[in-house]
Amino acid sequence: MTAIETRPTASTERHVTVLVDRCAGCQECVIRCPAGALSMEPVTWTALADDALCVGCRQCERTCPFNAIQVEGPLAVAERHDPPLHHPVQLRGDVSETRRGFASWDEAVAEASRCLTCPDPTCMRGCPAHNDIPQFVKAVAERDLERAHAILRRTSVMPDVCSRVCNQAAQCEGSCTWSLAGGVPVAIGRLERFIADQVPVPPPAVRSGDSEPMSVGIIGSGPAGAGAAWDLVEAGVQVTVYEKDATPGGLPVWGMPDFTLPDAVARRPWEQLVEAGVDLRCSTPIPAESIDHLLTVHDAVIVAAGASVPIRLSVPGSDLEGVTDATAFLQGAKDALGPGGDADGFLAQMGCPTERGTRILVLGAGNTAMDVARLARRLGLEATCVDWLDERFALARPDELQEARDEGVEVRFSRTLTSLAGEGRVARATLAHTTQASRGETPKVSTTQFDEVEVALVVMAMGYRIDADLRTALPATPVAKKHTGYAPGRWTASGILHNPASSFNHGYPVGTMALDREVGLWASTLPQRSRVWVAGDALTGPSTVVEAMAQGRRAARAVLDAHPARPDRGAAFRAQHETRVLVVYASEGGTTAKLAEAVGDELRVQGALVTVAPVDRVGPRQLAAADALVVGTWVEGLVVTRVHPAAAMRQWIEALPTLGERPVATFVTYGVNPRGALDELGAALTAKGGVVVAEETFGPRERATETRIRPSKPEAFAHRVAARVLRTLATAVA
Amino acid sequence: MAAPTKAPSTGHPNPTTHLVDPVAVAIRTRTPEDPAAIGRFAATDPAPGLDIARLPRVARVLRDRRFQFLLILPNQIVFWLVIGIGVLGTAVPGLNFATAITWYLWFALVFVMMVVVGRAWCAMCPFGGFGEWVQRHAFWRRKGTSIGLGLKMPEGVAQYGFLLSVASFLLLTWIEEFFNIAGPGNPMSTSFMVLGIVGTALLFFLLFERRTFCRYVCPLSALIGSVGAMGSVAGFRTRDRETCLACTTKDCMRGDADGYGCPWYTWPGSSDSNAACGLCSECYKACPSDNVGLFLQKPLTSVVAPTRRRADVAWSVALLFGLVVYQQFNALAPFANLDSWLNAHTHFPQYPNPIDYLGIIVAVALVMAGVGQVFTRAFAHADRVPTSGGRTFVDRVSPFRTYFLPLMYGIIPVVGADYFARQLPKFFQHVTRVPVSVGHLFGVGSTSSALYKASVIGSNGGIIAVQVGVMAVGTLAAMWTSWRVAGRDLVPVSRHGRGVQVAAVSLAALLGAATIVLYVLMNAAD
Repeated sequence: MTAIETRPTASTERHVTVLVDRCAGCQECVIRCPAGALSMEPVTWTALADDALCVGCRQCERTCPFNAIQVEGPLAVAERHDPPLHHPVQLRGDVSETRRGFASWDEAVAEASRCLTCPDPTCMRGCPAHNDIPQFVKAVAERDLERAHAILRRTSVMPDVCSRVCNQAAQCEGSCTWSLAGGVPVAIGRLERFIADQVPVPPPAVRSGDSEPMSVGIIGSGPAGAGAAWDLVEAGVQVTVYEKDATPGGLPVWGMPDFTLPDAVARRPWEQLVEAGVDLRCSTPIPAESIDHLLTVHDAVIVAAGASVPIRLSVPGSDLEGVTDATAFLQGAKDALGPGGDADGFLAQMGCPTERGTRILVLGAGNTAMDVARLARRLGLEATCVDWLDERFALARPDELQEARDEGVEVRFSRTLTSLAGEGRVARATLAHTTQASRGETPKVSTTQFDEVEVALVVMAMGYRIDADLRTALPATPVAKKHTGYAPGRWTASGILHNPASSFNHGYPVGTMALDREVGLWASTLPQRSRVWVAGDALTGPSTVVEAMAQGRRAARAVLDAHPARPDRGAAFRAQHETRVLVVYASEGGTTAKLAEAVGDELRVQGALVTVAPVDRVGPRQLAAADALVVGTWVEGLVVTRVHPAAAMRQWIEALPTLGERPVATFVTYGVNPRGALDELGAALTAKGGVVVAEETFGPRERATETRIRPSKPEAFAHRVAARVLRTLATAVA
Repeated sequence: MAAPTKAPSTGHPNPTTHLVDPVAVAIRTRTPEDPAAIGRFAATDPAPGLDIARLPRVARVLRDRRFQFLLILPNQIVFWLVIGIGVLGTAVPGLNFATAITWYLWFALVFVMMVVVGRAWCAMCPFGGFGEWVQRHAFWRRKGTSIGLGLKMPEGVAQYGFLLSVASFLLLTWIEEFFNIAGPGNPMSTSFMVLGIVGTALLFFLLFERRTFCRYVCPLSALIGSVGAMGSVAGFRTRDRETCLACTTKDCMRGDADGYGCPWYTWPGSSDSNAACGLCSECYKACPSDNVGLFLQKPLTSVVAPTRRRADVAWSVALLFGLVVYQQFNALAPFANLDSWLNAHTHFPQYPNPIDYLGIIVAVALVMAGVGQVFTRAFAHADRVPTSGGRTFVDRVSPFRTYFLPLMYGIIPVVGADYFARQLPKFFQHVTRVPVSVGHLFGVGSTSSALYKASVIGSNGGIIAVQVGVMAVGTLAAMWTSWRVAGRDLVPVSRHGRGVQVAAVSLAALLGAATIVLYVLMNAAD
């Protein structure tokens, strides 16, 4: 056991000061205090703190809108005890796991009892899958593994994998309230692993089949594919998975060494999924142009093909023999070190001498590079990683970086490869020094300072990118994971967006990173083309296992909601789903709002499920729950100059993700003359991937209240929309 | 993309959705304490029917981000003209636009707005407005960043609430008297004074966050915050407190894409008076539930109703009463003799000697405190008054405060009427010079014009009559508020319930009568 930190716990050491002049009595602190130390003073209606109950977590400080509360004193949390790392006596050939879980219930319960069960848990937001961490930790504390698994199952299908491979310091543990307060977080990852270690992850609970189940094809069997397949097969969908490799599982299987993720754990999800009835077709690559063909045999396709094209650095000598990429090395090395593998044979195949002191140069110092270098050490090679980033801004997990160094890997930051040299085969590498002042800044390469390294093999492990054909076939990908605009109120209110104070999370801006991930999660719920959803690295570019899994699940749930139908489906199948129409409007004086409501009412009469919402209240959730859109706006501008759709509407459309060929109807309301506003609206939506199916303008005499003529103009417009939107499906039947 | 927290009003159409946001599921915030359970806010919540933001036209105006900008802009133009014309224009005070508009019209209007509305001036103030434009680097747009250090007012100062503002008002008034700025003296002095206020405001806006200047420092803030309680605008308040209590985002305080967080550190959900609502409408814009209204209230409601009696307001009332009494007293011959005597003995160059200036103000405030102490001794029921306690200046509790605070709230109408009446001579005698000074800019006004020499009320007797009338109304109002305040706050803790009410009303009547006597003696001096 390693004691990380010692904290005194006497309650008298903490003092909470409420700045009573500034405290407005909003109770944001009261409702979020994990310790129940805050209440309200009835006369002044300001917060009242009980120092004896305060645990010093500073959640109140982070959540007070007016900064009217201050906490002094240490954190009242017990020491965290992490199980020690496993250091093989002889590294060569040993691929046993280096990180171990809790060995006993007592250890796990002691750690679980450090959790405050925060009412508005920031750890849960920090987790890319949004696991309900306080509740599963509480279940561990109460020794109820069945409940713990049930809680995890709501959001994750691979807790055994994620607990091993996640960078918790940048995610859940970095966002733990203790961590945000400058302390040592609850060992969330290890507790998650403890649950999976004690009781195997339960298999999918398959619902009894429909008479005519939906059919979904999934391209790729990595974490995104597994997440999607899991939720679909549980819902009784016929799932067919197309995997290009001979074995399923994607990068966790072929790319993660056993000392990080044992093979049996990595393969577990697919063994259970196949058992549950998923039709897994290995060695079946699907070229991007074949997606259209899949759409004729499946009702929906989820592209979870990953980002598997290695990025290669082009420098003088990079075409020499002995320069390879991480994929080839990882796959070969993993097999070579596995049961029945031939390490020397693999090195010989790589053209690498086996004598002592042979050095491999790994370009990059991210997690893949660490895996390559650590595998190389287990093959008996010396390993040097080079990364042009400053070590303060390193991309690798800090603990993994330390483990690699402990195993003898030399990691040189602030260096970049400028050339390779050798007679036919690489023998020497020249590294230039670099400097980087801040995260996100491109490092500056020195022209005067160089290092020379003797190398026998060079492995480029600088990351991956999405296949170019796939990007062409899905033009709106990759989606940039960057949240723009104002953070959602509940994120701000939770306090996670405060800058983290803890050295434990290595200065990661955990809140901003978590909020950025939301963009990817919600993008996975939106079809990128008609009946095509994308999830995982194929959607956002290289990312993490947990994020891919979470996106896959969300895509699957979006498919279940949308209930798409391939062209040859009959009316009975289509009747299982009502068309969901979202009427979005920008209204200034209420005219457009009334028209939108009138159109919505009539669409309901025609049989659609309708939501009518003002433009500033439509987010990704509402978009995901819409098969078709009706977009209405007032027009602004002078008739003599130019007339445009309202700025609020233009900005909303500008910020939209792809509409994935969804039908869109448009209307504008005008006072004098709409001029080109309707065309501009239609063009903007078409540019976002919408298909405009109906358009209308409403003048001053054509308002929603016009009732003398039936159908009124808004009703007639609704009929046209219904005919196009609802008949699209009907025509398809024919 | 709109914030996903703002769910559409019609809710999700499909109850069987598979897409459940796991974030929302895992939040288990505690149930907030319900103030309704203890009757908190019952007395101060305005009637729903008085919510003028329910009127579509008003709502449309308030929703517009340019609302406050357009309120500020005309004043901004006027006061930059004041700065420029005061320096460059004629040295004849009555003909100079700077002096005329500032002292003959604006100062009287500010008091009218204060007594009738509350913080109406704050909503349109060009001093804070200029600082805020710079701080937000925007005239009206919602920007996510601000210029400046964004400091918080240190708690050592902030806990005294309005008292720093009182201090700055006393200082500014002394400077005004010393340089005879409003006298009216050299118009250039008016320019420098206005420039000084704008500069100070800008400095504070760049150093501190939000409207720290307006809340704690502005010379007029304490006066408007306390006397404005007479006003008939309750400010922006919650429409339904249940909704506010259920809200876990508090966009009205933190700000969102539609509005800034409250610049005045006020939450519409707990606002029980109009003292700290700057009427800027940001909370109205930001509320995702359309749950903030702009409420009217019966006059004097914010004097009578608040459950929380603030010590800073009470001491502000006492000190500000001292100042206005000083301003009455300084028009009398005995004062002139006293001031000259003090100047001679302290080698101070001229009126007003700071010793008698502060001496009279503090003496009046201490007399008020003494009255509070007498009330405590005479009426406090030992078993019912709270024992001493509390955390800071604002919320400390003691037997003395139990009486002093409500008594000072009760006399607010006397103080308000006194300030208003004190401005009347200048207004009645000289407001006609405002159009002349405007004309002078275009070469058509002169000191010999009939309008220049005209006045709304020329005779001293007429002015005194109006002043006495104003004071009589103020005194009657104060007697009524004292009766109500004492009835609610003092009767339950006193030995003689009726006696304390009568004594409180008598105090208001006495103070009112004293000021009336002073106005008669002043003989309409400006």
